Amino acid sequence: MERQESSENGRESNEGISVKEENILNFLDSVDGYLILMDSLSSTLRQGWLELASARHSMGASRINSTLFDHKLHPASTTLQVNEQSAGPDRELPHFTLCKWASSNNPEKYFEEAKFGEDELLKKSNSLRHRDISHNSGNVCFPTFRFDCLGKMTRDQGFDLEALGSISMRVLKPVTNPLEMVVEISNMRASLLCAYDQVQKDMETATK
Amino acid sequence: MANRVQIRTSSSALIAMIADEDTITGFLLAGVGNVDLRRKTNYLIVDSKTTVKQIEDAFKEFTTREDIGIVLISQYVANMIRFLVDSYNKPIPAILEIPSKDHPYDPAHDSVLSRVKYLFSTESVASGRR
Repeated sequence: MERQESSENGRESNEGISVKEENILNFLDSVDGYLILMDSLSSTLRQGWLELASARHSMGASRINSTLFDHKLHPASTTLQVNEQSAGPDRELPHFTLCKWASSNNPEKYFEEAKFGEDELLKKSNSLRHRDISHNSGNVCFPTFRFDCLGKMTRDQGFDLEALGSISMRVLKPVTNPLEMVVEISNMRASLLCAYDQVQKDMETATK
Repeated sequence: MANRVQIRTSSSALIAMIADEDTITGFLLAGVGNVDLRRKTNYLIVDSKTTVKQIEDAFKEFTTREDIGIVLISQYVANMIRFLVDSYNKPIPAILEIPSKDHPYDPAHDSVLSRVKYLFSTESVASGRR
């Protein structure tokens, strides 16, 4: 009877240690993923600044500067969807999803581009050592209600560009990839802080 | 259950920015710029004439607005109001420190990593072993 009780206690303590170790591994994975994503964002932003400098050089600095920003009423065409994501009992995380406008007038091509963008992001997520893609992928959401008035919204998107002069989208490519990375990093940040809280709680329990 | 943090959900939250002109121009071209009826924008361009008070006010405004989900802030700007950024601990909006053209990203100054680096310090390891 005593041997049975001690073996049960041993099993419970083994399970407790493995859960704590799993929490530590999740935390370390989150830190690693966060740093890798920040590094990718830095590279992408650097590329964007280079392109902006190139456009400024070819078109003139007076045509690409903040004095041309229009301050009339204008809603953002790229927004976020913020939802709750369960991270265990009594714990919830914010989950961000990017919602952006189409870049094409052709509805079928629109969804193809969206799928392509999402596939590219998932490929990049696969390169991370942390493989939990379903938890960390920056999902791209395209609200369908805006699709019906695509023609109007395309003009509204051009409103910002008109403020910068007659710049076509091809000359200055919109920085959409960094936006997806920003959303991915935000989700990773939430996971990191959640994992940190859990590890800290485990440490406090261990010291009592 | 009593200490559970409430997550504020939203179907169209904005991305706010406190950064240099080039960074903000690039993100505005991606369509994140928003101007409301009161001509309030979701971005602050930081240049040599921007004061620390203006940056503080913008940070406080963006972190208290209910329609903002993420605040992007250049790390060198965040360093000017480090005490404010480090003391921020709400889940939404998420604060992300990003690099700028002249100031690369430094993980040592990141507020999120600063918060968790305690776990890697010798003090925390030593206290765990006692």
